[in-house]
Amino acid sequence: MTEAVISVSGLTKRFGEVLAVDSLDFSVAQGEVCGLLGPNGAGKTTTLRVLVGLVFADAGEARLLGHRVRPGDPDLNRVGIMIEESAFVPYLSGARNLRLWWESGGAPWANADVDTALSVAGLGNAIDRKVKTYSQGMKQRLGLARALLSRPDVLVLDEPTSGLDPGEMREVRQLLRRVSEQGATVLLSSHLLAEIEQVCSHAVVMDKGRLVAAGRVQELIGAEGSVYIEVSNVRRATTVLKKLAGVRRVVSEPPGLAVEIDGIKRSDIVAALVHARIGVETVTARHQLEDAFLGMVSASTASELAVGAQGKGAAEGGTTTRRSRLGEG
Amino acid sequence: MMALFRTEVVKQIRRPRTYVALGIAVLIPTIATIALKANPPTPQGGDEGLFALAPNSGILVAVAMLRFMSRFLLVLIAALFAGDAVAGEAGWGNLRYMLVRPVRRPRLLSAKLSVSALLALIATVLIVVTGLVAGGIAFGLSGVSVPFAALSQSAGQLLWNTVIATFYVAWSLAAVLSVGFFVSTLTDVPAGGVGAGIGLYIVSQILDSISSVGSIRYILPTHYLDAWNILFFGPGPNADMLRGVLLQVGYAVVFCGLAFWRFQRKDILS
Repeated sequence: MTEAVISVSGLTKRFGEVLAVDSLDFSVAQGEVCGLLGPNGAGKTTTLRVLVGLVFADAGEARLLGHRVRPGDPDLNRVGIMIEESAFVPYLSGARNLRLWWESGGAPWANADVDTALSVAGLGNAIDRKVKTYSQGMKQRLGLARALLSRPDVLVLDEPTSGLDPGEMREVRQLLRRVSEQGATVLLSSHLLAEIEQVCSHAVVMDKGRLVAAGRVQELIGAEGSVYIEVSNVRRATTVLKKLAGVRRVVSEPPGLAVEIDGIKRSDIVAALVHARIGVETVTARHQLEDAFLGMVSASTASELAVGAQGKGAAEGGTTTRRSRLGEG
Repeated sequence: MMALFRTEVVKQIRRPRTYVALGIAVLIPTIATIALKANPPTPQGGDEGLFALAPNSGILVAVAMLRFMSRFLLVLIAALFAGDAVAGEAGWGNLRYMLVRPVRRPRLLSAKLSVSALLALIATVLIVVTGLVAGGIAFGLSGVSVPFAALSQSAGQLLWNTVIATFYVAWSLAAVLSVGFFVSTLTDVPAGGVGAGIGLYIVSQILDSISSVGSIRYILPTHYLDAWNILFFGPGPNADMLRGVLLQVGYAVVFCGLAFWRFQRKDILS
């Protein structure tokens, strides 16, 4: 079993009356690119802040590289971090900002991976301009460059493509794949579900500070939704599919079929058709992460409402009920 | 620690605000000296007396400027440097990035506090040095003997006492600096820290001027602010100067201690 590079267990953080993170558990193994998903206020940024030692947990713990990171931890040198938007000293140049930030840790500038950082920043001569003249996208790229200066083993990124144009977003996605292939572990939060789908191998879905689901992205997507299938015999395929458990509805959409599924994997559908000697020409997942995410979050809310009602009943009837989770990885 | 200190120094010396503050510390004594030369005042008592005596020796220009600037402008400059030290970085959002370096929070805070204190000291020294240079050019750097003002010192004595007075005034800023610094660790708004430092000074000055306040006045941070006058118009350093120094030590220990205690436990949300 691969050792967890990031491990969060029972993490709870409260800000006054607001419960930002509530008994959160998940882990990220080495080399994984894990997306942290959730609506605004889900507790994603707080979780990342606890992980890197900016915020102190009220209960539970977040372990990074095998131990709990405390402020000033020497292992922070092995972690590339971008929390919320990139921020710099505005009246200094991009290059000066990078250098001062690096040297503040006591390491000589010669040890920094400046070439990679500058190529990621892609700022050209603007690297010598004052940061206050940068656009949001330029700051974001400079922030990514800063995160990569130490050739990190782990990247913790909060909305890394925020403010970037589509071309830059694609470059960042390619970069994340590259660093992952080189063995680095990446934990990133994003509102862009398509981005998580394209970049991440795993995802953790949060809502209202709690874990809703965690696992491989393909598993999360495949749990429910619909697929479009083009087959050699539409009539026979319809008959076969309607008999399968986990298929809710089969609708003819010439030249193929739209199949609404619930709990069955696409691979099982294909296997059933092939077993019935029906040729399968194409299988397209119509259900993307966005649908799965919205389904999970709304189900979480519904579950919470149900628990609230039960809790009220429990208070009256003398039993207690714990909120159920949709899934855990 | 030195690397961190160096990066903080670079940040400050490249900041336009620093140039403006230190520029004022040079500009005002220069303008005042020109005015004194062009329009020599008539001798009189009170605060105006030092300016009136200044044409007797350029050294007294520096002393007069130290007295004049310590009344508010130096306080403002010290509060600016200290109040902005942490809150300014938090306001830019850069503090969280400083704190994800492998540097313990107390070390970062120490570096910021040291640089703030250093800049306040530099501002104080600049006022005196500018006063000496400008005053020396305008009036020479001679000793003085003014019987009616009870001031009779050689140039060497004057210079030595000016050095002591400079460090005394600089140290007298410790309370303003530490209160501003403490508040700076509590907020993301630099004006909060600056305002706290200046507010402390103003409240202290007001209360100190009300005799009914009684013995509480003795622990107000501005109570011994002018105690150094005894260096020029009296026998030399006295118990009040020592009390002034110790009082500032108390404020510095309490408020810097609070700043460190609070900052080590603070959730960084900015």
